[in-house]
Amino acid sequence: MTRPVASEEADRPERDPRTASQSPATPGTEEEMPESGAPQARQPEGERELLPTATGAQTWAAVRELVRPRRGLALAGFVAMVVATAIGLLIQPLLGRIVDLVAEQRPPDALTLPVVLLVVVAVAQGGATALGLSLVSHLGEGVLARLRERFVANALRLPLGQVEKAGAGDLTARVTRDVSMVGEAVRSALPELARSVLAIVLTLAAMAALDWRFLLAALIAVPIQAHTARWYVRRAVPLYAQQRIATGAQQQQLLDTVAGSGTVRAFRIEEQHTELVTRRSSTAVGLTMRGVRLVLDFYNRLHVAEYAGLAAVLVTGFLLVRSDSVSIGTATAAALYFHSLFTPVNQALVLLDDAQSANASLARIVGVTSARPAPGEPAEHRRTEGTEATGGTVPRIEVDEHADAPGVTVTVSGLDHAYEPGRPVLHDVDLTLHPGELVALVGPSGAGKTTLAKLVAGVHRPTAGTVRLTGGGSASSGPPVALITQETHVFAGPLEDDLRLARADATDEELRAALATVESLDWALALPDGLSTVVGEGGHRLTAAQVQQLALARLVLADPPVAVLDEATAEAGSTGARLLEKAAQRAVGGRTALVVAHRLTQAASADRVVVMEEGRIVQSGTHAELCAAPGPYADLWEAWSGAR
Amino acid sequence: MVPPVPSGRSVLRTAVREQRGKVAVGALLGSGHQIGEALVPVLIGVVIDQAVTDSDTGALVVWLGVLAVGYVGLALSFRFGAWTGDLAATRAEHKLRVTLVERVVAPGGGTERGRLPGALVNIATEDAKRVGVSIMALMIGTSALMGLLTCAVVLLSTSVTLGLVVLLGTPVLLWLGHLLSKPLEARSGAEQERAAHASAVAADLVAGLRILKGIGGEPTAVTRYRTTSRESLQATLRAARAQAFQNGTVLALTGCLIAAAALVGGRLAADGSITLGQLVSAVGLALFLLGPLQTLAWVNAELAQGRASAARIADVLATPPAVPSVDDSGSALPGPAEPVHGALRLTGVRHGGLDALDLTVAPGELLGVAATDPAHAADLIRCLARGSDPEDGTVELDGVPLSDLDPAALRTHLLVAEHDADLFEGTVHSNVTAAANGASDPGPAMAAAGVTEVLRTLPDGAASAVSERGRSLSGGQRQRVALARALAAERPVLVLHDPTTAVDAVTESEVAAGIRELRAGRTTVVVTTSPALLSVADRVALLVDGRVTDTGTHSELVGRHEVYRSAVLS
Repeated sequence: MTRPVASEEADRPERDPRTASQSPATPGTEEEMPESGAPQARQPEGERELLPTATGAQTWAAVRELVRPRRGLALAGFVAMVVATAIGLLIQPLLGRIVDLVAEQRPPDALTLPVVLLVVVAVAQGGATALGLSLVSHLGEGVLARLRERFVANALRLPLGQVEKAGAGDLTARVTRDVSMVGEAVRSALPELARSVLAIVLTLAAMAALDWRFLLAALIAVPIQAHTARWYVRRAVPLYAQQRIATGAQQQQLLDTVAGSGTVRAFRIEEQHTELVTRRSSTAVGLTMRGVRLVLDFYNRLHVAEYAGLAAVLVTGFLLVRSDSVSIGTATAAALYFHSLFTPVNQALVLLDDAQSANASLARIVGVTSARPAPGEPAEHRRTEGTEATGGTVPRIEVDEHADAPGVTVTVSGLDHAYEPGRPVLHDVDLTLHPGELVALVGPSGAGKTTLAKLVAGVHRPTAGTVRLTGGGSASSGPPVALITQETHVFAGPLEDDLRLARADATDEELRAALATVESLDWALALPDGLSTVVGEGGHRLTAAQVQQLALARLVLADPPVAVLDEATAEAGSTGARLLEKAAQRAVGGRTALVVAHRLTQAASADRVVVMEEGRIVQSGTHAELCAAPGPYADLWEAWSGAR
Repeated sequence: MVPPVPSGRSVLRTAVREQRGKVAVGALLGSGHQIGEALVPVLIGVVIDQAVTDSDTGALVVWLGVLAVGYVGLALSFRFGAWTGDLAATRAEHKLRVTLVERVVAPGGGTERGRLPGALVNIATEDAKRVGVSIMALMIGTSALMGLLTCAVVLLSTSVTLGLVVLLGTPVLLWLGHLLSKPLEARSGAEQERAAHASAVAADLVAGLRILKGIGGEPTAVTRYRTTSRESLQATLRAARAQAFQNGTVLALTGCLIAAAALVGGRLAADGSITLGQLVSAVGLALFLLGPLQTLAWVNAELAQGRASAARIADVLATPPAVPSVDDSGSALPGPAEPVHGALRLTGVRHGGLDALDLTVAPGELLGVAATDPAHAADLIRCLARGSDPEDGTVELDGVPLSDLDPAALRTHLLVAEHDADLFEGTVHSNVTAAANGASDPGPAMAAAGVTEVLRTLPDGAASAVSERGRSLSGGQRQRVALARALAAERPVLVLHDPTTAVDAVTESEVAAGIRELRAGRTTVVVTTSPALLSVADRVALLVDGRVTDTGTHSELVGRHEVYRSAVLS
């Protein structure tokens, strides 16, 4: 099969396996973590439990399941590709026929028929190839789209605790690097590989059809090629893994230094950082050159195989022509067949590597699409109708017929929690949040405030004790408890779409009302396109305070009976924080709310203040009560209000 | 090395010049390889002619020997040519990357203005790589031209007619293919962009996973993503169909070229003008020729991209510094006179929202600055940090205007720790001691900033890893480590901007006391509205509408100033 590709692909960088396997650094995805990334310190447990990776069998089962509804398409694509390749193989015998006609000294007009046939073959081959490639890409892209939809659906369904244990980078890396790796493979590597393999198999068959001895001669190259491929893959896989890590580390260092350049200058650590970048870049360059060397050695070996095979085929042709077993034309066709094998063989061997990386990526994706909640984590509980439940304990609102007020009561009793056995964070915490009550949690860091907030929000399953939600029935369809943390994100797209994530069917009026509640309507309407302004990655940039207000507006729209706010005002600077506090207070109005307070003013305006120390509640009461009584809260407030 | 105002062209030229030895060797060996590749089909023809047709064993052995020599030659020149080329490319890339980073972190600054960090990083990675690839493309292009030339010589010396058919037919074929696929390419580019959109949206949703879960937005997000994914699929399929059509067309055209070569060559061979072997060579060369021609098209595209990348790099390198480190006559500015006493004076400063601000800080004083408008606080910080010099008025350190001092030297004495200061990848310890010159013990700084408490919750104490930009720590932990770093730097003058916003009230009070104790006797300015910090200051200046309206202690101001009370306590 003749392919319009340069005869030696190695010196064309876009064909080069090392550029193909280096995942391009995705600009803007700051989350990308190296595989050997630093241990995550966010969780006290330290160790990371990566999300599951599918076994080979599971991966194949998943692929089969995705292909099954499209098997007609798969069959049609395969047949078209075989036909296209087979037609292409008629070229060499036709050329051989022309050589024979000349050798037999036929009149020149006798050449017309084979030449016309050559044109017919060319057009038919082109048509069949176009059809085959189109069908194959239809199949591949369809499967890929389905796969990424499942990935997103399942990733969003994973329990938060499990994702946090794995580190946010794991999931992000899978959805960016792995999905693009598989996409790349589906788009280019797999069709090319299929074409090459078909070309090789059918060409060898055609050589056998000319004379079986040509096949034997051609096969002389195979052991060398097979050995070379094994030799290459064995070295390439770990080397490219190292390269990816080094490239990731370089990328991270650059981002660290460039994004923090103001800090670098302020602290006069410019040289230190230039040095770090130089070192990381040198490592990456060194590994790239090791990769280059490997590829070059690989091609050197293939050159040996090429020569051995070509010489063998020529010698065979020579012997067969001498013994009158075949014509000169047939010998020519055999030599041309073998020469035309160079490209697909090199291609196939190079693509093996891509195929392997794609397979590894696929296993990581399938690992998530078929993931089940890990033991010890609460199953997904914020399910609305239409999504299947997976069991487990779910903080649901228990209907309490005797409830005299609307709203939900949160009863925390005997709560103990330890992220690791032997290192308890909470001890026997009892706390009741009455319907509509705003309770502020105050205490030094490490006192367990965030842990308590997370347990109330249902992120983790407590080691001991219970969190119960009870209310007067008629629970809304949304989640019973909403949690807002200091982690912020603006979803890329129009602002109104971002808000509607909290309530899909919200009217424009409702959106405006929610924004007005958190005092954000003015700036939102002043955006270039108002609520239709594209925000988030690549869109209009919102300030840190605006982003938090947006989070509060989503809370208003989601309208949960219980709200938990943790560090929601942290990043905005002190004056911005005060605006946010007011917005937060309005957002939780009427809900049963637990707020981790950083500023005492936040506590002062709450219905009740709960002071925690070392995993225990040490004080509880209104701001006035606590100020009046001697204790840690009163001391704090005195310092704040300048009363000492 | 880099000329005063680099342009894209000069960046590219410098990169090639620096690697010129390697570029020359790479081009030479690459040419050798291409010539060898061109000769393989010729040699096949010769073997058919000399050995197979006449059943000549001696000739067979001789020509297979020649083929072997040819192979060794082409293999070796490929091996060493490509190696040299890649080395030149990666070295150029590395050098550009380091130069870029040096410019970005240079004391004058200025490159971040108007550029997102991601964009700058992209220039330092992707664009630097593109320039490296351009160098490679230059060598590959030269080699392809040599291969082309060899083909032309062999074909024309075989038969002028056949040579012309092949030499003219090949570019015509490529041109036709290009013509046919051009509208498709334009469309497929746009569609591929739409296709990439699906992945971007998926990544975005996953990045916001916790937020989605917090408000129960997953079902909506999943439904919405399905729509995006399907739209994206349709676009991809259109692009893929176009691509398939293009591939098929090129294949059909190639077949037609071979048929034409076979027709002309066959007739020439039939009337005896050329031998059978030459016919075989000609057909083989017609196929080979497509390679170098396509390579040249690739080289052309690559060089165009390389020029664009070089222009972006030049743009960054040519960015004027935000604050100068030379005076008007071009001589380097001096550093502050040592020892630095730490007297700061702002006189009539106008910058952003600052309106003729006057402010004096005595040596060794702990001054709190409470601004009613956070934008004014940021403007003040900017002037002190020399992110830019004030539009009007002066900022003086020990009586010398800051604009008369070298910004780098100034910063070794005056540290402005900004609110959004970044932590760096490493450990807690490496972050805290980043700017602590010498072996001074970071312990007191860590204790004062409340890091000691952070360490208790971390797996490995001070040796615990901090991931890029401190993401592995919570906001409050991050702030305390950053504060410890600022304290550990032990600068004579320290300006802190909202250092404890993410820290709980209990810890904040302890940190405030820690700062006071550790900075005793050294000038410290804290720009904040946090009562905990303001209450430990010797004196607090209230900044309203860009000017100081009152000064006094925290309790005094709380007692007498309604604006202050509402700014700080409400």
